Amino acid sequence: MPLRELLVKELRELTVSRSWWMLLILMGPLTGFSFLGSFRTFAEVSAGQGEALSPLIGVWAPTFSACELAAVFLLPFIAIRLVGGDRESGALKLELQQSFGTPFMVGAKAVVLLAGWTVAMLPPLSAFLLWHGYGGSLYAPELGALIFGHILNAGLTIALAAAMASLAEHHSTAAILTLSVTVGTWVVNLLGWGRYTPAAMVAEFQHGLVLLDASVIALALIFLGLGIAAIWLRLGVPQKRRVFESFALTLAVAAGIFAASFLRPSWDLSEGRRNSFSEADERALQQIHGLTIEAHLAPEDPRRADLENRALSKLRRAMPDLRVRYIAASSTGLFEQASSGYGEIWYIAGWRKEMSRATTAEAVLESIYAVAQVQPPAESDDVYRGHPLTAQPNGAALLFYGLWPAAFLACGILVQRKLK
Amino acid sequence: MLFEVRGISKRFGKITALEGVAFQVQPAEVLGLIGPNGAGKSTLFECLAGVLPCDSGEIPPRETLFYVPDGICPWPGQSVRWALDFTLGFLGGDPSLRAEVIEQMDLAPVLSQRIGTLSKGQRKRVLLAIGLLTRQPALLIDEPFEGLDLRQARDIASALRVHALRGRTLFLSIHQISDAARFCDRFVLLNHGRVRGEGTVAELASLAHLATDDLEEVFLALT
Repeated sequence: MPLRELLVKELRELTVSRSWWMLLILMGPLTGFSFLGSFRTFAEVSAGQGEALSPLIGVWAPTFSACELAAVFLLPFIAIRLVGGDRESGALKLELQQSFGTPFMVGAKAVVLLAGWTVAMLPPLSAFLLWHGYGGSLYAPELGALIFGHILNAGLTIALAAAMASLAEHHSTAAILTLSVTVGTWVVNLLGWGRYTPAAMVAEFQHGLVLLDASVIALALIFLGLGIAAIWLRLGVPQKRRVFESFALTLAVAAGIFAASFLRPSWDLSEGRRNSFSEADERALQQIHGLTIEAHLAPEDPRRADLENRALSKLRRAMPDLRVRYIAASSTGLFEQASSGYGEIWYIAGWRKEMSRATTAEAVLESIYAVAQVQPPAESDDVYRGHPLTAQPNGAALLFYGLWPAAFLACGILVQRKLK
Repeated sequence: MLFEVRGISKRFGKITALEGVAFQVQPAEVLGLIGPNGAGKSTLFECLAGVLPCDSGEIPPRETLFYVPDGICPWPGQSVRWALDFTLGFLGGDPSLRAEVIEQMDLAPVLSQRIGTLSKGQRKRVLLAIGLLTRQPALLIDEPFEGLDLRQARDIASALRVHALRGRTLFLSIHQISDAARFCDRFVLLNHGRVRGEGTVAELASLAHLATDDLEEVFLALT
């Protein structure tokens, strides 16, 4: 079966790749550093307050940041080598003479790269066992969301690197282009412009929130990257046609992304419902229709980010017909003066209006109930208290700094010998 | 006739690499593609194999031929043994030829070696083995004797002849005219991207209005 041969070939190419073994060896220390740091902080907070942050936010999000780092700075080199290696060595000229199309070839590479990434995630995944051994609590749905987010993020990196490897003549050019895009999306994210950047998407998953629009858009971008790679690896097709096909594919995917951006379903899988209002509040909010919020806040104003993250993101999920308008286009920069109404947040329901300047979730809810003349629900005692843990991370340093690197190194040597 | 090539043209920007190339390939013949450096021999092979787009012209169907490029080092991290097995599995090679080809190409001592660590001559023999294992009726080999010493070149020539006698068409791009004269039945003479002549040495000599059976003389007269 040529497909099986192809998959085995890509798997072998991955296992002879030193950069992949380097990634595996580094994943242990990277995970160890972030796990131990977050674990100690979590234990200190637990001891001090008697209750603690949720393990998802306090431990798992920082621990899995090792994956984010590796996906940005290490994974692209492995993907570029695997996708561009055949062309650089000349093997592609032999392989293309088979009747298999490049979409299958690129697909096989992507599957193997994802499998390779899954192996690289073993050290952070092993931290779950350690945590459980220390008596920590694990909540599978939120951890599933976290893992899914990092796999999607790796998929995006693989697709981007594959596209760049197929477009650029040399691996170094492809690496520079890939890093430019990934670091560029970080900058976009820092400026607060990127709702669908990989970093923004991972942040949502790290909070246990699965957004359908972000997931579908990520999958569409993965499809685009791999599609472009498949188009540009067809050496026997005229360049003009490849440019046209790439353009057409990009347009089609852009249309799909635009459509997907209207998808509203989302699932808050966090144990503490940290991305949602309480169930009682959500029931009360669902009775309110035609609410408009006008916020006089400039895009660069941190209060606007606060309002978005603390209240509006939860509100949009609870009230699909909510309308939000940002009025202030001006900033409070050096040469500009804010208007007198700057900073005001108006809540409008029919002819009634309420104004507040507060950006906390509680204050926003209070204003909404007031303007809509809805009785706020009684405060519930059923509040998420977190899972404090004051244990010592015994053996974690040995596992992450010693055992994982040693195990991967030994496997690397054995596999290299076996493959001869 | 196994296949016919008609009106193949290829330009790289302002440079014309091939222009209206046309010739015929007969079954089970050893056809030599000869021409000076830069004549367009490799470009023609790549166009015929479909790994380089040609601007115009008719190329033979994919299942008719297999092309072995010159100067490539495929799968450098993999062993020779694996490359041959991959050829059989993925490229649809003939498993019954495996042992014979390994012997003909003298690959037994390097089967466990990685392709990236082989010498130029050893790598050439691996590439020839890959080509010989494939099933397509015509095998296009770019510079089959490049990097081989005299003894190896003679051994390889004998092995190739065995495959030709069994009915496989060999179409070889050879820049050493003496090698081509010794080994090929017919020739396609390419110069500046155009076919200057096609046929046996005698037919090419007649085209050049020469009374000689020396291919070098004919080559110099026609290029």
